[in-house]
Amino acid sequence: MAGTGHTVKSYEEEMQSLNDNLVKMGSLTETQIAEAMAAVIKVDKDSVDKIVKNDGSINELRSIIDEQITTVLVKRAPMAVDLRITLSTLKISHDLERIGDLAKSIAKKVKPLPIDLPDELIGSLRRLGDLVQKQLKEVLDAYLNKSKDKSIEIWKKDEQVDDLTNLAMNEVANYLQSDKKNLEIATHLLFVTKNIERAGDHITNIAESLYYLIEGEYLEGARPKGKPIDS
Amino acid sequence: MELENKKIKIQAKNLNVYYGAKQALFNINLEINQKEVTALIGPSGCGKSTFIRCINRMNDVIDICKVDGSIEIDGSEINDKKVDVVMLREKIGMVFQKPNPFPKSIYDNIAYGPIIHGLAEEKNQMDNIVETSLKKAALWDEVKDRLDEPGTSLSGGQQQRLCIARALSVSPEVILMDEPCSALDPIATAKIEELIDELKKSYTIVIVTHSMAQAVRVSQKTGFFHMGKIIEVDSTDKIFKNPSNKMTQDYITGRFG
Ligand SMILES: Nc1ncnc2c1ncn2[C@@H]1O[C@H](COP(=O)(O)OP(=O)(O)OP(=O)(O)O)[C@@H](O)[C@H]1O
Ligand SMILES: [Mg+2]
Repeated sequence: MAGTGHTVKSYEEEMQSLNDNLVKMGSLTETQIAEAMAAVIKVDKDSVDKIVKNDGSINELRSIIDEQITTVLVKRAPMAVDLRITLSTLKISHDLERIGDLAKSIAKKVKPLPIDLPDELIGSLRRLGDLVQKQLKEVLDAYLNKSKDKSIEIWKKDEQVDDLTNLAMNEVANYLQSDKKNLEIATHLLFVTKNIERAGDHITNIAESLYYLIEGEYLEGARPKGKPIDS
Repeated sequence: MELENKKIKIQAKNLNVYYGAKQALFNINLEINQKEVTALIGPSGCGKSTFIRCINRMNDVIDICKVDGSIEIDGSEINDKKVDVVMLREKIGMVFQKPNPFPKSIYDNIAYGPIIHGLAEEKNQMDNIVETSLKKAALWDEVKDRLDEPGTSLSGGQQQRLCIARALSVSPEVILMDEPCSALDPIATAKIEELIDELKKSYTIVIVTHSMAQAVRVSQKTGFFHMGKIIEVDSTDKIFKNPSNKMTQDYITGRFG
């Protein structure tokens, strides 16, 4: 978006490498969320360990990005768009790392699940998971294209994530009501649902950071429902 | 924004400046707020020094230089023939890139201005002016026991503060600084910047600087010049976080040339 490159080539290369690492991190996170959701839907316990292990690469990239950003700040004292790119990359990388953590937590809940969960319950989790995956893919695309309109669209769509979260919660409640012995499993499923929703919140944060990067201003108003991000 | 309710101290309107046939400034319009620091930035040769020299009519001394248009200070035109240039320069002090103390004692460097402007009648009045000026320039403690030594015996950073003290000695309202720190080390620079922070409570300051970081640190308003034109003027915050003009952005982010 800045048009011509920096006069100092190594500065240009540093910013490029930062961008590349963030994109790499985004794509790893996308895979992790997709695999964690697939594991839940199919109650595929075999994939859990791999998902847990792969979270390490996301964390590693986060540390690399932190380090690179510190270097850019010290060496270049970035201004204007460079400053905004640097700050947004820092924030986005942290949100991606959190999404990665949530994918890992979701996967860990798969092991105790029974294979005969009700179709409606699985269906509601799938719809929620699909939407969040779509949001994540779109926000990463929007980052690549520096699309302001997309960032607003994604930000607004978090409301749908909330709606699907409520539906999934209801299904979990039904499942619990049908047999009180389901309590432990239902608790796991509530965590899964909550974690997907939180991933959605981090995606909203990314949309906000992206908007700031592009516009140099913060998105008007609070997030759609004004709910605080996970504590 | 806070810029809105500040009083305008200096206003340039349709200012054009020529060196012989060559035009150096094109239709400059710029407002400088009272008791605030305005930074002027831009590539070498873009006209920053030419502009600040208009504010105290220093361009008058350059034969081939012709200034057209208006500069008002507190609403009155300074390019008017009736304006007493000596009085004007009493009101508007200037500090240059290279510290240029007179080849005289530290004391006389400060006393010189007040003498020619007839500001002190007795020795103790003058002593007082010298002391206060040096204190305002944060130099007093370092030189109070060596006031008789030549100004040139001081370090570069001290010399620059001596020049600031000299500018302050005639109680100016405006201080123009043309790259005042470019010959100084980081500590001397920090001292000058700290001094600027202090001085802006009482004076209107215009500073030309090639250091973006310095402009951010010391100023509230920034003007970007390019090839004799003002490209963008805004709050310093806006200019360095989110400039409106692409040329400004390219310049401050190092994407020029
Ligand atoms: N005394 C002079 N005689 C002729 N031309 C001059 C004179 N002073 C400046 N100029 C020209 O006017 C233009 C603006 O010069 P000025 O010194 O104002 O630039 P500047 O922005 O202060 O540059 P720098 O950052 O290098 O100090 C330049 O093209 C310069 O060559
Ligand atoms: Mg100059």
